[in-house]
Amino acid sequence: MNKIIEFFKANKNDIIKPVAVLLAICVIIPLALAVTNKVTKNRIEQLARSNEKETMLELIKAEKFPKYAYSEGNIAFEYNVAKKDDEVLGYIFVTSAKGYGGDVSVMTAVGTDGKVIEIAITDASGETPGLGQNVKKEKFYSQYAGKSDGVTVVKNGAGGKDTVVAVTGATVSSRAVNKAVSQALEYYALVSGDAEGEVVAE
Amino acid sequence: MKNKYLSVFSNGLIKENPVLRLVLGTCPTLAVTTAAINGIGMGVSATIVLVCSNLVISLLRNIIPDKVRIPAYITIIAGFVSVVQMLVKAFLPAIDKSLGIFLPLIVVNCIILARAEMFASKNAPVLSVLDGLGMGIGFTAVLTLMGAIRELLGAGTLFTLPITAEVIDPMVIFLLPPGGFFVFGMLVAASNAIAKKNGKKPVEHLGCANCPSRGVCGKFSPEEKEEAINE
Amino acid sequence: MNSTTTIASIILAGILTNNMVLSKFLGICPFLGVSKKSGTAFSMSIAVTFVMVVATAVTWPIYHYILYPDFTYLDTIVFILVIAAIVQLIEIFLKKFIKPIYNALGIYLPLITTNCAVLGITMLNITNELNFIKSIVNALAAGLGFMLAMLLFAGVRERMETADVPEFLKGLPITLVAAALVSLSFLGFAGIGG
Repeated sequence: MNKIIEFFKANKNDIIKPVAVLLAICVIIPLALAVTNKVTKNRIEQLARSNEKETMLELIKAEKFPKYAYSEGNIAFEYNVAKKDDEVLGYIFVTSAKGYGGDVSVMTAVGTDGKVIEIAITDASGETPGLGQNVKKEKFYSQYAGKSDGVTVVKNGAGGKDTVVAVTGATVSSRAVNKAVSQALEYYALVSGDAEGEVVAE
Repeated sequence: MKNKYLSVFSNGLIKENPVLRLVLGTCPTLAVTTAAINGIGMGVSATIVLVCSNLVISLLRNIIPDKVRIPAYITIIAGFVSVVQMLVKAFLPAIDKSLGIFLPLIVVNCIILARAEMFASKNAPVLSVLDGLGMGIGFTAVLTLMGAIRELLGAGTLFTLPITAEVIDPMVIFLLPPGGFFVFGMLVAASNAIAKKNGKKPVEHLGCANCPSRGVCGKFSPEEKEEAINE
Repeated sequence: MNSTTTIASIILAGILTNNMVLSKFLGICPFLGVSKKSGTAFSMSIAVTFVMVVATAVTWPIYHYILYPDFTYLDTIVFILVIAAIVQLIEIFLKKFIKPIYNALGIYLPLITTNCAVLGITMLNITNELNFIKSIVNALAAGLGFMLAMLLFAGVRERMETADVPEFLKGLPITLVAAALVSLSFLGFAGIGG
């Protein structure tokens, strides 16, 4: 026992002090982070929710967008149903596909007739600014209005009934959007007519 | 007396500009400068971290034992980076998206550790804050300038306001990685030319000589160190 | 991205299309600083690749089993400390047991702690929601991509030593212009394996 105490005494400045200082720093800083996290966490979540709501309103002028969950086999996703006076106006899906430098997220509003009402690009931050990020421009995404399943991307020429014209020089990003929209239409096929699914949140 | 404070502050602006004269923090300089506003976002975030960490490290300079100073500095810096990251996420989500992974990567931005090691650990708090502020503003200025050049040439806009977009077809290449290297190269060339006029040497990326951790890795044998520095 | 990303596309992206240095701007310091000779460039890339793979193998479980879901805000601070510790341990281990490797790579190891490529890759593995195996593959591919960029660039710089460079571009500026051209050539890979 005495030996241990002596050891500590002898090494007071060599071992004890550095360890104590490091320990103190490693306790104080995570505590400070925990406080900041507590302050900002709700705001970050709220921000995400209100952004989502606003985007949905831009796509479909509905009163409320209750959230539903679909799960069957290994397919599981959540979607929103746009409702006005209890009448279903359309369905909203958020899907993503791999683009040039990350995932491109798309919010697709599908009408009760199975046709796309409109889409919004919610995240294309991994794409090249001025090139791939141009999928966020109306000229590109507005092409999807009125389209139904089986849309393909063409590099040039005019868009037809089943085709959209890619953003110049950004075929990869355009294809990612297209893939995400197709995914949304697949989801629609699974849930259409089944708006009685499980309500997750109002 | 007053001059001392002023010279410490102005040091980072031009004479020892962290990007153009010390060649530190090249990664964010190249990566986030696709638009002027991103340059400001990155610059201001890094400046806040730099000022706070300089202040705390300077206050603790007599308490932190020499042996563990690097892990202690890194922990303190990482703490401030995380705080800034959460605040940006909560209040400036657009900036958070465009800076992406480079926001948390401020932790390993050489400028911050370098100033902690070279300045804050040896100087009083007020001076350290001024040093951090000067270096931070110097960093922000270069990033904003570079962002503005690339945005103007590559997208024809400035702070997203259209300038030449309607008249000249923008040269997208300036927004792509090669454009980043090229514009940075030209800025260094310009800064070298100005330095030469004032009788100073042009900068050369010296590998180890510019590395803030070179003081830490005392594990080199003297010859190896010599070789690495000359490399 | 998670389930749709195949191992092959991760490898292609890491080495060519999303090259860490030339398109993501991670690890620029060693890219510009340690690329004058291909020998040193090679040693540095081996050290970086090694540390990236080990760091991923350690940080991935820490994030998913300890930090997630309540303490994810501590990721930056935990990751950088873990990386610093790993680098120290690797150094001690090599020094003690595999002296030849230590002699070859030893001087590069301490520089790697503050190399944004290592912290960057461990964080990208988390944000891209890759599983454990894919994260390891991604780290390895990114390391090989780093090596490719370093070796190609070292080759360019060795040739440049004898070139007649305009006075105002001498030194760092011409190095950056050369880097621009090398990265331009990598743009050609865009879209492969999309």
